[in-house]
Amino acid sequence: MRRALGKDAVIGAVLLAALLIFVLAPLLTVIVWAFADQWRPPALWPTQWGVRYWHILLARADVVQSLTISLFISLVVTIVAALICLPAAYAFARLDFPGRRLFLLSFIAVNAFPRFALYVSIAIVFLSVGLIGTITGVVLIQLVFSLLFMIWIPTAAFRGVDRSIEEAARDVGASHLTVLVRITLPQVAPAIGAALLLTFMNAFYEVDGALLIGVPTVRTMPIVMLSLINGQIIVQYGAVLSVMLWVPSLVLLLLTRRMFDSRTFAAGLGV
Amino acid sequence: MTTAASAGGLRQGRIEHPRRSLFRDRGWAVGLALIAPAFLLMVVLIFAPAVLSLAGTFFPAGAAGASLANYEHFFGDALSVLNLVFTVWTTLATLLVLLVVGLVVAVYLRFSQSRLVAAIQVLSLFPLFVPGIVISFALIRFLGPTGLVPSILKAIGITGYQTPYLHASGAVIGLVWENIPLTVMLLTAGLSQVSNRAIEAARDVGANAAQIFIHIVLPPLTRSIAVVCCLNFLQIFGSFTVPYILGPAAPQMMSIFMQRTFTEVHLADAAETQAAITFLVCLIAGVVYSAIVFRDSAAKGTLAA
Repeated sequence: MRRALGKDAVIGAVLLAALLIFVLAPLLTVIVWAFADQWRPPALWPTQWGVRYWHILLARADVVQSLTISLFISLVVTIVAALICLPAAYAFARLDFPGRRLFLLSFIAVNAFPRFALYVSIAIVFLSVGLIGTITGVVLIQLVFSLLFMIWIPTAAFRGVDRSIEEAARDVGASHLTVLVRITLPQVAPAIGAALLLTFMNAFYEVDGALLIGVPTVRTMPIVMLSLINGQIIVQYGAVLSVMLWVPSLVLLLLTRRMFDSRTFAAGLGV
Repeated sequence: MTTAASAGGLRQGRIEHPRRSLFRDRGWAVGLALIAPAFLLMVVLIFAPAVLSLAGTFFPAGAAGASLANYEHFFGDALSVLNLVFTVWTTLATLLVLLVVGLVVAVYLRFSQSRLVAAIQVLSLFPLFVPGIVISFALIRFLGPTGLVPSILKAIGITGYQTPYLHASGAVIGLVWENIPLTVMLLTAGLSQVSNRAIEAARDVGANAAQIFIHIVLPPLTRSIAVVCCLNFLQIFGSFTVPYILGPAAPQMMSIFMQRTFTEVHLADAAETQAAITFLVCLIAGVVYSAIVFRDSAAKGTLAA
């Protein structure tokens, strides 16, 4: 038994080390690059530390503009997705209507297509109706992949609400609206918060649809970063933008990590 | 509808609240109205474009009727075929690596008693929180020709490093990175159905580790493995950012090929055919995945309620 435990720990240590190197080391390298004023590989460490490139990037009009556009588009996508999907989730969880199960399951179609090929099909339709290069077009294409988890996660949450409390409130004379606002919504708030957060972040980081539909007129933050990675030899530009793009979401997720139980993820993946 | 609903209520022995049953009578109309916007959006943004694309490829501009001219053109072009074959191989290679890595991690998470389990789980789910563009850039800085890995190798005197950046292996590494969480999550869920008692029983009658894995652990896992294969196949085949940044310029993954054709060469018809062929290649994976989810939900009643 003791020997087995020793082997167990050794395998675990090897796995952990491999994951640390493969998963974390590349990201840590980028964080170091973002705060390096000078680093000439093959030197193993920056020769000068500083935030010079943060100042340069934040003074660039294209960066500031794309940040504004990205925040605006992501916010609109999140609001529209919530307005469309949350009532649907409530209906799926609480109301009886013909074909309910089939309708709910039909949303996994979102996962059953190769994503970029679907985007190209959408882009061809958008081309004929003049939505290429418009903010509306980008918002619409980013809505596509928010549908599944904006419906399935809140549906699971609405279903988990303790009905007896609702009935009790109604028995003492509370109206439907009062019960919804005071009893039901507080119970589903964490899951809906998680779904909203996921939608906002997916839209904010989304490259594929924005590149196909938005370029060249609508340039979101990830698109500007893409051009800085491909066209510029200054490594720090990409590094600073990576940190700017990514760290806020990490902080946000750490703050709200209790929302993300494994069921939330599973529901979002449709399994 | 009304009688069926109230009969259902009675059968469960519940006393119908008068106000609630009133709401229920109108329930189906309200329900359909509430889901209509989301469903219509999905039809307009997903089903309609996909069907239009597929149908459009059979009716080329200028032709009198249906024709396979678009497909003949695609399969007559060596570069197009090369890109398709390259995409299939890259996808299968990535899938294989993901299965091996995912199984090792998931099996360890399921059966280990070590305290490292929590850390391994967090690390394997961590890529969920990193956008594709950030990890692609990070892998260039890590594995690229001037990245940290070649610098370290040089410092300790190892020469002859071949960077995967801008090679097929670069795309594979990036795609494995991105899809580890999904794979581990699905396999862990499948492994939770393997019973400890069955393993102990097998061990008692003298089965070795390999026999236990093949006869006890794998069978309940087949469904998870099927879902992992289908979902990953679709994700990888339909991915753009990671292979665009890390993969080779030629041959290209189909997504990059389509983007160039549509945005840079402005050949919408050719891009449509490329998308249609991508749909057809992915059809089996999409159908199998949908069928498994449908069947499971029917069996478990999780979504049916």
